[in-house]
Amino acid sequence: MLIQVINLQRTYQMGSVKVEALKDASFQIKEGEFVAIIGPSGSGKSTLMHILGCLDQPTAGSFLMEGQDISAVSENELAEIRNKKIGFVFQQFNLLPKATILQNVSVPLIYGGIRGRRRQLELAEKALQQVGLGDRLHHRPTEISGGQKQRVAIARALINNPALVLADEPTGNLDTKTGKEIMDIFRQLNKEGHTIIMVTHDQEIAEQARRVIQIRDGLIQKDEVIA
Amino acid sequence: MIWEILRMAVNSLTVNKMRSFLSMLGIIIGVGAVIAIVSVGSGAQMQVTSQISQLGSNLITISPGIRRGSSGRISMTSTDLFTMELADQLQQNCPSLARIMPNLQTSGLLIAGTNNYQTTVVGVTPVYQQIYDFYPARGQFITEEHEAGATNVLVLGSGLATELFPETDPVGQKVKLFVRNRHLLFVVVGVMEEKGSGAWGNIENQAFIPASVLMKKINNRKYVSGYTAQAASAADAKAAVGEVQYFLTRYLGDPSQFRVTSQEQLLETISQVTGTLSLMLGGIAGISLLVGGIGIMNIMLVSVTERTREIGIRKALGAKRRHILTQFIIESLAMSGFGGLIGIGFGWLGAAGVAKIGGWPLVVTHTSVLLAFSFALLVGLFFGIYPARKASKLDPVIALSYE
Repeated sequence: MLIQVINLQRTYQMGSVKVEALKDASFQIKEGEFVAIIGPSGSGKSTLMHILGCLDQPTAGSFLMEGQDISAVSENELAEIRNKKIGFVFQQFNLLPKATILQNVSVPLIYGGIRGRRRQLELAEKALQQVGLGDRLHHRPTEISGGQKQRVAIARALINNPALVLADEPTGNLDTKTGKEIMDIFRQLNKEGHTIIMVTHDQEIAEQARRVIQIRDGLIQKDEVIA
Repeated sequence: MIWEILRMAVNSLTVNKMRSFLSMLGIIIGVGAVIAIVSVGSGAQMQVTSQISQLGSNLITISPGIRRGSSGRISMTSTDLFTMELADQLQQNCPSLARIMPNLQTSGLLIAGTNNYQTTVVGVTPVYQQIYDFYPARGQFITEEHEAGATNVLVLGSGLATELFPETDPVGQKVKLFVRNRHLLFVVVGVMEEKGSGAWGNIENQAFIPASVLMKKINNRKYVSGYTAQAASAADAKAAVGEVQYFLTRYLGDPSQFRVTSQEQLLETISQVTGTLSLMLGGIAGISLLVGGIGIMNIMLVSVTERTREIGIRKALGAKRRHILTQFIIESLAMSGFGGLIGIGFGWLGAAGVAKIGGWPLVVTHTSVLLAFSFALLVGLFFGIYPARKASKLDPVIALSYE
């Protein structure tokens, strides 16, 4: 089992108020799945994604990734898991604006301890070629379109060959046509065996996944497999 | 990986060139000032030292001690101590002294035809030449016969000679000396060589007469203000100081009535004073390095805030605390290090400029360069740590959502 979420809780202390972003969430995700987590804003889906992405840790309950309990590991180990096992694709693309897209894609390799700058750049170039940007290597993020930016982000997410690709509203900043292209890439990646979890508030986008988990007020409301 | 981080740091500095330069300015000025000041200090010291040695070597000055004024009495120096006879006795009793002469001078107006010149008139004995390594270029110097007979003869400094006799050869000419409301007639017997300029440039405009003439015919006193003696060698100079002190203490009975200073002591004192001075000024310049460090910290804090999102992205991609910490510390170090390098350049230029104006050799020591540069790096490290720690501790979730 890739992911096991058991009675997950996450509470924030906002001044004197306690906010229960996640009240009680439990589900499992197997390798090779394409899951959409859907819910309106404030439903706790972002919090859930942060925990699944090992950016945050639960207040109570447990989150197991490949059998390892993430709730109990150190900050350094979390960073290592993010680097090796998780690839992020964000709504805002989150590329480093002052670096070329080739440099951007190579960043996870630097922190992953892949030795040799030339080797890093070779790997990054290969990854960019796979998303069809082999001719834009030395452009900066400001010089390419939104769709291209998201492809760079996908190349970056995949570069360390992660166990899980986490996409947060990956089409949120794109027009319909480009969004569709990005979704096609995700479906293709899933066909090739990548596990994908996508967080969205858009029903139409969510339905392109193979399983939809609906969340509302910090609770799992519905968990259904689409035919 | 460290090279990767270094490259990223340098990249981020070049993105904002103007800002990076302005933040480095404090370090640039600090390092430059330290290097320039230390260099100017050692250059000036070298010049003063060489000028003093130029005056003659292994000199010992014997001068009256200072009587401290107490209970209303005015502080004064004891003047009625040193006579020509005492000089002879010193010469006889102190085997390490090669020669000794009295210190004796007055001020007077020299008149030659229509030209006149107000100057210092020095009473000398023939050994003056050897003691100060200063010889006549034309004619002769004051001789033993002139001294013994108190003859009215006069030797002109080279500058003075051209002032008084712009067109004619002064040797053999007559000059009048107007001093203490009296006129004395002298025959010029020689003109001194040019000794080269320096702080002691007025030596070229002095006139020299026999000591006996100055004592008997002008001052009407048998006392002189002190002695200048010369030892045969530097080693003898130390011994000579002891001998003179021993003899004078026995002769005068009170060691506080006189002072014996060797040239070496004088040089030591001067180098101590200039050393302390440049250390102090260098220290003040060092403070501007500290201020420069604060400037760097300030800009690093701004940079951390501006790049909160970048830090979040890096953390999401697997950067650990130490990666972020290293990145920002290296940025700060790169700024102070690069600023330091520019500062070394400016400091060297400044020192060269001042040395040219002051006419002394340009001395930039490795020590001062190394010291200033490592201090700049240290400042960069110290003031980089706080912003870097702040950056490394950012929560990735909060950093990622930072707008």
